[in-house]
Amino acid sequence: MAPISIRLDRVSKRFDHTVKGEVYAVRDVTLAVQQGELLTLLGPSGCGKSTTLRMIAGFEEPDEGTIFIEGQDVTHVLPNRRGIGFMFQNYALFPHLTVFENVAYGLRVQGRDATSLTRAVEEVLELVGLANYGRQQPHQLSGGEQQRVALARAVVFQPKVLLFDEPLSNLDAKLRVEMREQIRSLQKRIGITTVYVTHDQEEAMAISDRIAVMERGAVVQDGTAQDLYYRPLTEFVARFIGRTNLLVARVVTAGEVDVEGLRIPLASGRDVGEVVRLVVRPEMIDIAPAAVGEAGSGRITQRTFLGEKTDYEITFGSTTLQVTRSDTFRGPSLDVGDDVRVSVDPTRIHSLGQPISP
Amino acid sequence: MPGWRRVAGDPALLVAIVVLWALLALFVIYPLAELLRRAFVDEGRLTLAPLLEALADESHRAAFFNSLLLATSVGGLGTALGFLFAFTAVRGGLPRHWLTVLDAAALLPLVSPPFTTSISIIFSFGPKGFISHGLLGLANVSPYGFWSTTLAETLTYFPIAYLTLRPILAAIDPNLEEMAFSLGGSRWRIFRTVTLPLAVPGFANAFLLLFAASLADFATPLILAGNSFPVLPTQAFLQITGMFDFKGGAILSLVLLVPAAAVFLLQRYWVGRRAYVTVTGKVGQRSRTRALAPWAGVLLVAGCFLVAATIVYFYALLLFASLVVAFGANNSFTLSHYQVIFTEGLPAIRDTLIIAAIGMPLGGFYGVLVGYLIARKNFPGRHAMELVAMINYALPGTIVGIAYLIAFNDPPLALTGGALIIVACYVFRYSPTGIRATVALLQQIDRSLEEASSSLGAGSSETFRRVTLPLIAPAFFAGLGVVFIRSMTAISATIFLVSISWTLITVRILENMTEMALGPAAAFSVFVIVVVYLVVAGLSAVLVRLRAPAAGAAARSFLGG
Repeated sequence: MAPISIRLDRVSKRFDHTVKGEVYAVRDVTLAVQQGELLTLLGPSGCGKSTTLRMIAGFEEPDEGTIFIEGQDVTHVLPNRRGIGFMFQNYALFPHLTVFENVAYGLRVQGRDATSLTRAVEEVLELVGLANYGRQQPHQLSGGEQQRVALARAVVFQPKVLLFDEPLSNLDAKLRVEMREQIRSLQKRIGITTVYVTHDQEEAMAISDRIAVMERGAVVQDGTAQDLYYRPLTEFVARFIGRTNLLVARVVTAGEVDVEGLRIPLASGRDVGEVVRLVVRPEMIDIAPAAVGEAGSGRITQRTFLGEKTDYEITFGSTTLQVTRSDTFRGPSLDVGDDVRVSVDPTRIHSLGQPISP
Repeated sequence: MPGWRRVAGDPALLVAIVVLWALLALFVIYPLAELLRRAFVDEGRLTLAPLLEALADESHRAAFFNSLLLATSVGGLGTALGFLFAFTAVRGGLPRHWLTVLDAAALLPLVSPPFTTSISIIFSFGPKGFISHGLLGLANVSPYGFWSTTLAETLTYFPIAYLTLRPILAAIDPNLEEMAFSLGGSRWRIFRTVTLPLAVPGFANAFLLLFAASLADFATPLILAGNSFPVLPTQAFLQITGMFDFKGGAILSLVLLVPAAAVFLLQRYWVGRRAYVTVTGKVGQRSRTRALAPWAGVLLVAGCFLVAATIVYFYALLLFASLVVAFGANNSFTLSHYQVIFTEGLPAIRDTLIIAAIGMPLGGFYGVLVGYLIARKNFPGRHAMELVAMINYALPGTIVGIAYLIAFNDPPLALTGGALIIVACYVFRYSPTGIRATVALLQQIDRSLEEASSSLGAGSSETFRRVTLPLIAPAFFAGLGVVFIRSMTAISATIFLVSISWTLITVRILENMTEMALGPAAAFSVFVIVVVYLVVAGLSAVLVRLRAPAAGAAARSFLGG
């Protein structure tokens, strides 16, 4: 395993709220980011992800806990002594400086000599595809170009870590995908430890080595995209990452549960009669034409054709199932009003931690 | 305490805070404390008897209410005029050279000695006045009282509101107005719901500055208010110069502290709650606004030119008076008044220029530094520093003058009679304009720009120099300009500090006025105006070179460049 580059040890940050009094923006967060890894802090707005990032950068100081960068305690070290590259949501380009001077800023502060400064700036501008933009003013550039200038500025002085605060939220959807691929490939090429904040789960899954999901100031789960998708620890994570069917099932035998009359072979490890909650992703459910009133069948109430896949909404007993099929072109065509037999691949079902009483 | 730890880890910040506090303690707190001690301590005991005595006096109470009425009128009217000019300059779509003409006229009163408008009003509306007697043939008219004082002070002080509001209006992205317009709002509605609310910090600042300026002004009322409209500063001044009653004068002027403090606190808690970030690192295309109807534009421009014409008329009259033997009586041409000021008056001219040249850079830098610290840095005692830094400005000049006189008259701080005490008086009294302008501008500059600099390795002093200073250059030069202009034109505080070895042009003008030597007074005024105009023009040339982008277009034609 690679050495730890950033470590947060039980970090908390409180704010004075005018109505609620003292509230925790970040509560007891412990995280470790390995050398060269890209960790994403993912969560809805107000979950404390940006505050956590700003504490790593040094813009905010934690009330409790310790922050280490490359083994050094930086909890009370000023941002300019931390060796971080920071990408802001609004880019924060200096409006009074040219593109070249924006990128050169960190090197000028270091007192780099003119020749090596010019070479480094030109190299990095080339790297982000803005080779001839040096003399432009920031306001002459498009959003995507401003974004790339900000990226060049953040990496040119070879910081120890790179921090991104929702850098793509001001771009349109297509550019967003393009930029996140560019950020990821640049990050891999220079192998820099990165923490990335976003509220967009798709962006998080596309860009990250590892994702930490935050809810109300705390990290609720931390793992790879696959971990979070297939083995969410809480309902919040299950619902926040991807689409999900959260089914209430009753254990009927040691190796079988029942959902609305549908028997699923599942070793839940729980006592007979207990209720468990199952995370079933829409693509894990298979549907096939069924006779009217057949046991374990439901009815299609909505169908959305999306080209590569088709989404269905199925009324199944008292629950509504979200189903996604990408193989509908093979079987018979199914439409709203049709009765379908529902089956689930038991190997991919995940049950949430705590059993609930019936 | 985490705040202290952070300050301790940033040596430049720590040094700045310590030095500023030392200066504030010496030149703001100490003189004020000495003044209060003189006013309220009698034979080692605290006593309120002199205060109660002063309050019981009917004419003193009238003076108090007159002062409030005057300051409120001047604050309101001046802010309205300042907004008219600022809005026209930013959104009126005037060609550059017309804008320059308008700027020049609007700034004329600001760059003049305090008596000039007053002298012109007497020349116009006095018993032998050009308008009252010459044009209308009226006899025995009195130019003295509330209306003439309000008129003179509004015309004198509204440029402060203009200078405060213009960079703020310029920093409001026209795209916001465009957006509201595209949403189907009427132009009036957009003006009311978008432009005005965004300019609120500017309004509050402008009103505060004007209110305080009017409260502190005693030169105008001294000449124009007359016996029927006494105000506190003149009462206090006459108490001291006429009756040599230091204690009584000090107490009387201290009464003005109450309204000055009230306005200051109101401004703080009203404006403080609103955040206005319209300048961000994300730069949008500047569009030419359609948010102003053509007829409204014409109306605004016409209004501005009417005001400008009035000002120009007053100053033409002044110039004329300086070039004739005796205005109204003998209108034949002469240069003798100028000969007088460049011979007899030369020491005053030399002293004034030296003091202004020293005070200007100090005051400009001090204003921006304090404004930056209180707007951007989180350190213990920040609010206290803001409050203390505003004290000498909010205090009527009479108080500051008397306080300095009392505090610096004896060893170990026997500074009276020298130039240093006059420079210090100007710096700490007139830099708050720069502080306010800096704070207002910083409220519109996104904090992430400074954080970006910090993340790129720059310490706080380097960030200040490389990022903040260029972005707040308009505020810096506004501060610089105001300190210079006031050094050339102020009188209320420094009249107590002049001496045989160091005197001031404005004091000489007052002496001329009391000797009824109106010709040399007019000539001195014209000289001051010319010098100040040259310096201001130089400053705006520098500003154009800098092209400070935070204020966008405002920077380019700021101060009439």
